[in-house]
Parts: sequence; C-alpha cells; structure tokens
Amino acid sequence: MNRKTDIVVVGSGLAGMSAALTAAQSGKKVTLLTHGAGTLAISSGCIDVLGYLNGVRVADPFESMATLPAEHPYSLIGGAETVREAIDWLKSVCRKGGIDMAHAAEEGNHTLITVMGTLKPSYLCPDSFNPDCLKDVHRAAVVTVENMKDVHPGLIIDQLHRYAELSDKEFMEAVLPCPIEHAHRNITPLDIARHVETPEGMKWLEKSLMPYAKLYPVLLLPPICGMKHSQQIWNQLCSALKVKIIEMVSIPPGVAGLRMRDVLKKALNAAGVYMVESAEVVRAEVEEGRCKTVHTLTASGEDAWEADSFIIATGGLLSGGISTAPGKAWESIFQLSLDAPADTEAWSSPDIFGSSFFASMGVKVNHELKPLNGEGNVCLDNVRFAGRVLGGYDFAAEKSGNGVALATGRYAGMLAGKE
Amino acid sequence: MKHTTVVIIGGGATGIGILRDLSMRGVKAVLLEQGGIASGASSRFHGLLHSGGRYAVKDNEAARECIEENMILRRIGRECVEESEGFFVLSQQDDPAYEKPWVEACAKAGIKTEPVDVKEALRLEPNLDPGIKAVYRVPDSSVDGFRLVWHNAMSARRYGGEMLTHHEVFAIDQEGGKVKGVRARNLVTGEEVCISCDVVVNAAGSWAAKVVELVGLEVGVQPDRGTLVAFNHRFTSRVINRLHMSSDGDIFVPHGSITILGTTSFHADRPDAHEAPTEDVLKLLDIGEVLIPNLRSYRILRAFAGTRPLYVAKGSAAGRAASRGFHISDHSEEGLDGMFSIFGGKFTTYRLMAEKLCDLVCEKLGVHAECRTAVEPLIADPSPAMMEKAAKYFPVHSVPLVANRLGDAFPIVVEKAAAMKSNPLLCECEMVTRAEIEYVASDPSSHSMTDVRLRTRLGMGTCQGTYCSLRTIGALTECRVPFPLSPADNLRDFLQERWKGLRPALWGLQAREMELGRAVYAATLNIDGARDEQKN
Repeated sequence: MNRKTDIVVVGSGLAGMSAALTAAQSGKKVTLLTHGAGTLAISSGCIDVLGYLNGVRVADPFESMATLPAEHPYSLIGGAETVREAIDWLKSVCRKGGIDMAHAAEEGNHTLITVMGTLKPSYLCPDSFNPDCLKDVHRAAVVTVENMKDVHPGLIIDQLHRYAELSDKEFMEAVLPCPIEHAHRNITPLDIARHVETPEGMKWLEKSLMPYAKLYPVLLLPPICGMKHSQQIWNQLCSALKVKIIEMVSIPPGVAGLRMRDVLKKALNAAGVYMVESAEVVRAEVEEGRCKTVHTLTASGEDAWEADSFIIATGGLLSGGISTAPGKAWESIFQLSLDAPADTEAWSSPDIFGSSFFASMGVKVNHELKPLNGEGNVCLDNVRFAGRVLGGYDFAAEKSGNGVALATGRYAGMLAGKE
Repeated sequence: MKHTTVVIIGGGATGIGILRDLSMRGVKAVLLEQGGIASGASSRFHGLLHSGGRYAVKDNEAARECIEENMILRRIGRECVEESEGFFVLSQQDDPAYEKPWVEACAKAGIKTEPVDVKEALRLEPNLDPGIKAVYRVPDSSVDGFRLVWHNAMSARRYGGEMLTHHEVFAIDQEGGKVKGVRARNLVTGEEVCISCDVVVNAAGSWAAKVVELVGLEVGVQPDRGTLVAFNHRFTSRVINRLHMSSDGDIFVPHGSITILGTTSFHADRPDAHEAPTEDVLKLLDIGEVLIPNLRSYRILRAFAGTRPLYVAKGSAAGRAASRGFHISDHSEEGLDGMFSIFGGKFTTYRLMAEKLCDLVCEKLGVHAECRTAVEPLIADPSPAMMEKAAKYFPVHSVPLVANRLGDAFPIVVEKAAAMKSNPLLCECEMVTRAEIEYVASDPSSHSMTDVRLRTRLGMGTCQGTYCSLRTIGALTECRVPFPLSPADNLRDFLQERWKGLRPALWGLQAREMELGRAVYAATLNIDGARDEQKN
C-alpha cells in the first residue's frame, strides 16, 4: 500500500504534534505516523524553556538564549523571537482546547513545586500549576491520597523548608482517603485524576478537601484535578472551596502531559491531520539526497508513505529516535551517524548529571533543521528534524525539553508548510 | 575507652564469619568495617557457590575445600543458596584433552561429576551454543553474598558479637611487642573510638596490606580486579562453566531473575578499584558469546567490579595464576604478639577460613570451646504460623523471599507490617515493602539509602532505582529515619551509586533506561539544580 500526502510527520510527542498541526494550519495535507504514545504521556505538561545554563540558574530564559552556543537548537532556529512565537501559538491552541496556560507574574521563569518538594524553573504552565499564590500566604496544606506511593507530604514539606523563600511557611500534611479500589496495583495521580472526571469523583474531592480548605488558604495537590476537563474542575474546586489549589509537578505517568496531548490530538483532528497510531517507521527510501517514502511496519505488513517533505520527531534514546551500540550512535530511520566517540566511556560523565556526549547526542542540522553530513552539507534535502532527536542540547540539565520540542516542531512545520 | 577481647578489622564474609565463630565460642569480639557490611568483594563477585570443579586440576586441595564447604553452606545457610546445580561445558573452542584429567581431578577432590548427553543439555539449557561438545553436571549453586554475610552477622549478634560499620581503623596501638588496642574513626560523624583488646584480627581482604602498614609490617596481598556483568534476564537455569583451564569470562550464574557473567582478572593498583571499565564489559561479551551466542540481545543491567585479595608469596605468580587458597599470618613471628592477618581464599571457603583463624586465636587465648559453625544453621526457620501471618501483610508470592532475606528479623518486620495501616511494595522489582525498608533503615548500621539497598536489594532490579528511589526516600523521610544526608542528597548519592554500574554499558536498552532516569530526576524533579539551592 502506498499513500501520499504533502507532509509526513513521524512521532507524536510535543515536537511531532506541533509540527503536524502547524503544517496543517498552513493548508498542507499532513500524515502523522506514531509508534507509541509520545513523551507527553510521561511529561509534566509544563513548558520548560531554559532553566539553567552551564549549571547556573537563568533569570530570564529569553535573555539567556542569546548566549547559547551556535549549535543549540534555539540558536539554529533564530533564538528568542522564534521561541516566543511558538509559545504564544501553543497558548492559543491550549486555550481553544480548554487549558489556560500561565506565565510567571514577573518576567522570567516560574518556580514550580514538584512532588518531591523540590523547586523547578519552568516558563509556562497550566493555571493549576501556577505557584504564585503561595507567595502571599503563610500557611498551606500538602495533600496526598492514601496509597499513592509517589507522593509523600512529609518529604515534600521537609524539602520545601530547605529553600530560603519557603523556610518560614507553615505546611501541614493531609492524606485523603483513597476513593477507588486499588487491588495490588499502585495508585498514581493518573488514577485519581480520571476518577475526578466522574461526578462522584468530583464530589469526593470537593468533600475531602473541605476541612483543609477551611484552615488553609492554599492547598498543594498531586495533579489529580481531572483529565479532559481539568481547567473547569480546578476552577470549580477553587471557587467552591474558596482556596487556591496548586498542582505539583509529578513523575510519570504524566497527568498534565496527557491533558495537553489530548488537546493537541483534538486540534490535529480538527485540522484534518491523518494520524496513524501503532505504526513504527522502520526504514526510508532515499534517492539522490531526497526521501521518497518512509515505511511502517504493522501487524498487516509494511506500508509505504510518500510525501514531498518529512519531519522526523522520533525523540531521543528513550523514544527510539536515536540508537546506540558500543562505540556507535545513529539516527534510527536514516541511519545518520551521530559521530559518537569510539570509546563508549567517553560518552558519559562520572557525575550522573554532568554534561556529556550522552546527554546531548543527536542529529546535527542546519538553520532549516535539515540534517548535515560530516562535511557540513545538507544530506537529505526534504527532511527536517525536531525535538529530542536533535543534538546540541541537554534537556535534563538545562530544563529545556518541552521548550525545544515545541519551538523546533513548530519551526519545522512552518518551513515545510511554506514549501 | 571500650574493652573487648578481639577486634576484627573487615566486615566481609571472612571478618563476619570470624565474628560469628568467636561469639559462638564465647569470646568477646568487636568488628570494625570502613563501609557497609559486605560492601567489598563479598558482594562484588558472581555469587557462585563453587563445587570446586573450577580448581580441580590446578589446585586439588582448594577444590576439596570448596566441595566440603559447599555442602556445609547448603545446610547451614540454605536461605542464601539457590540450589541451581552447574554444568561444565566443553565448547567448540576448548581443548578436548582437558576433559579426562578434569574428570579425574574432580573425582580425586570428591566432586561428583555426571556426564550429560549434549542433546539433553541443550533441551535443559536451550540458549547454549548448539555446537558444544560435552557437558558435565556438578554441584555448583548460586549464593547471595549480601544475604549470607548478613545472616552470619545476625547470628553473631545473637551470641553477643558487636559490629561497627563506617568505622575506619587509623591506628593499632602496641606496647612491649604486644597489641593493646585499636583506634578508629566513625566516617559518618567524624568521632574517634578507642577499643582496647588482647588480639587484633586483620580480615580486611584487599585492604589487608594497608592495615598491617599501620604496624609497620608487610603482607603478600595483591588486589586483583574482577569485572562482572549483570543481565536483566535469567537466560540459563544453571550455573554454566567452560570446561577448560579457568580463565576470564567463562562463568554464568543465574540469580532470581537475572544472570551474572564473570569475571576478568586484572592487576589492581588499589583495593577499592571498583570501577568496571567498558573494555572489561566488551571483553566479557566476546568471551561469553562462545557459550551463549545470543548474549548481546539481552539488556545489561549493570557492570561492577570487585578486588580479590590474592595471596602472593614473595616471588610467585600473580593474577589468574595465583593461588585461590588462603593464608594466615601470625605476626608474633615478626615480633608483634596478638595480631593475625588472614587473606586470599574464596567466598565459598569463608567459613573454613574463619574456623582455622579462630582455632589459632582461641589457642592463644586459652579458650577450649569447639567450633560449631559447620553444624548450627545461621538462622532458625520461621514458624508456619509466622509465614501465614506474613501472607496477610506482604504480597503472598514474596513471603518466602522476604523470610529468607530477613532471617532473624523476619518476625519483627511481620509484626511491624501488621501494625502499619498498609505495607505497600516500594521496590517492585525486588519485592521490598515499606515495613522492611523502615526496619532496615532504622538499624544502627544503616546511614543512607545505599546501605538500605545493600541489605534489601532495593533498586537492584529492572528499573535500577528510577521508580523506587523517590518513594523510598519519601517513606523514610516521613518515618523520620535520622540519616545524616538531606533527602535530595541521599537520593542523589543513591542514583550516583547506581550510575557507576550503568555507565560502563551505556548503550542499547540500558541507554534508553538512563535517559528516562535523567528525565525523571533532572528534567522533572530538578534534583541536580536543587543541590545548590537547598540548605542542608
């Protein structure tokens, strides 16, 4: 079977979905091929743009962007201006989909609260994660749900008190009774968030929070305020209980990431993007430096997908966009070499969070996100790369994962859309 | 100033074995260990309970010791031994001329060998190379080093033996040619302790030479690095050995759901050469492929290294050619009365080594009690009623595992779990529940999450700490275990320790797992950034 559209996007993380939606909005016929659920499913759902540069906290991510090295994806796509435009675009997509995204009250990053009680710089977050209201109060309750193993108020409070700006606040531990049967499985924030989508779940949450809402003006919660209707549920709870609720950034499963994924999927659908799930791209046909087709493997066999241009947003090591073997690293679809040192030990730093080849390995591209060969020339003229498959940045140390995914995905979609 | 009769330096299998033996004979003893219990070579080996087959040709005496001790440990420490049996396999690359002398040497040492038809062997072990030439069954087994040492320690405590972990000995005092006492520093608090005693036993393994340097003497101990690779799959049911002169990378040992491949033998310039280089890992994969052709398709869980304390008499061979036998020095021969050193040997023979040394110490002290370590089990079996009770508070299928792991502490932990509102599994890979973690964390020998890991196997499984470490530090912070490190620092150290084992094999599925780990702990939780932003 051979299908043709204008553009084929591979990958349904934030980069792939942003690319596909942007291209479709510019009038192109777009096919989105995806193998798994994309990393939004394990993401915080907040847009980290740039939190640290060489280990130093940045005050304003856009100001600091100008000092990034030339091979950093932000530098390649034009820096602050391009990134700001992508953020404004995502905000409008999310608003249409029912999630209001919030900037920090002052210029620069938010300082989000995590379920470990650590603070994390991030540029844009859903309203429900905005921690600004904590500044004006002295007391807050830290809430968990019984049997939720990954959220411990005692740990969160201990940790929050270690930050100068929070050391004098009074925090109280609160444990809500678990509203669902848990058998022998973990209770995660995702289970509770889904339950809260139901009328009985919503009633349960409101009733369980009531006693704490009477005592504390701010409640810190794991991300449990619903899924599809999270914004309404959060609004409703805040006004009914007369409190401010702050959802804390949580580890996988990524509740807020899934909320955003849902919004983007709906937008893709509305824009006419043809999305094919459970379709792993296993190879590509390339002729004279141009990609003709990519081929997916499904239970029914191999399918070929033809397009004028391709956007590859397959992620990094975790998602499979990058493959490795001792002394070798390559991009998985086109087998582009990533110039890995032959000595595998030189890939990583003795410090787990240290900077290293391993942390920032990825495809080298030009200003149009087209891949470059060893001589620095474009080697695939109608293929662009976006998101973690790109090299030149360390999403974990910089706290720039969703920022780079969004900005490069949108940029690749715009360029392909103009062709 | 504290007083005891014997101070033992070193908390590995040998030192703890000595502590148990002396305590059972009624001799007062204190053990000092610079790290955690079994944190050196006693946990950094392949976990093979040797049948002795490996040494039969070269060192028949050592082989005989192995088979005798092997049978004793199956009895006294059966909670620590997985009776998996072993195959010796003649591969296409091995010299068939070795087969006959090997069979004869095994018979001479008292090791039962039974030829297995190659077709039958391939049916039992389908991952073996179909081209293998001959197979013999031997009584090899898998042994859990951590657990065996801990069970010895619990038994020693029951008899009054005392141990101080994270205590580094910095001086051995002497007067008139006789040892008087030992001074050590608590590495956690910085405090110094002085213990006066009549006898000092140096059982510091690869560190033995450093210990005798304190009294200006020398011993012939050469640390020898052995690297091992743990795979996230159990692809053999039995211990698999190559039927050839013992060499690198020729043993596969299955443990629970994993398999360990080892080992290399390289001269180490220091006793704590615990970094496993990628070079060693690649070498092990090359050699291992001869027996298991699809070896590279399995995910490597981690690589680790330990240092064997090889005994090298002056002018004799080092490395693979050095003796695996053990040696005891009575330093009175060099003018220092009351000091003994024991080194060399193998994990399998730790009990025998302890017995021989304790015989000498008792003779010196004029104690006539007999050694009973070969007959008395390390721990008593839990009662059926206790097992039944445990099934209410632990996942049912984990109860025997938990009982074996905890030994003496099992009833205490069951009662603890019964008193808790719930007892969730915090480490799903190794089935460690909150009650067990809280109990182990509150033991005086635990100072960090890494200590808890060593004893419970927390974070040693498939996720290598990615999922269990956050919830564990959460639980420990909530129950206010007074660790010296802040929660974030404790977690960072724990992950850093895991990283050391992941780094040497950072490709394929392992690299994938590590990117997830960095996404969770750095990108999402920012524990790297928190380092400078939090106060302790």
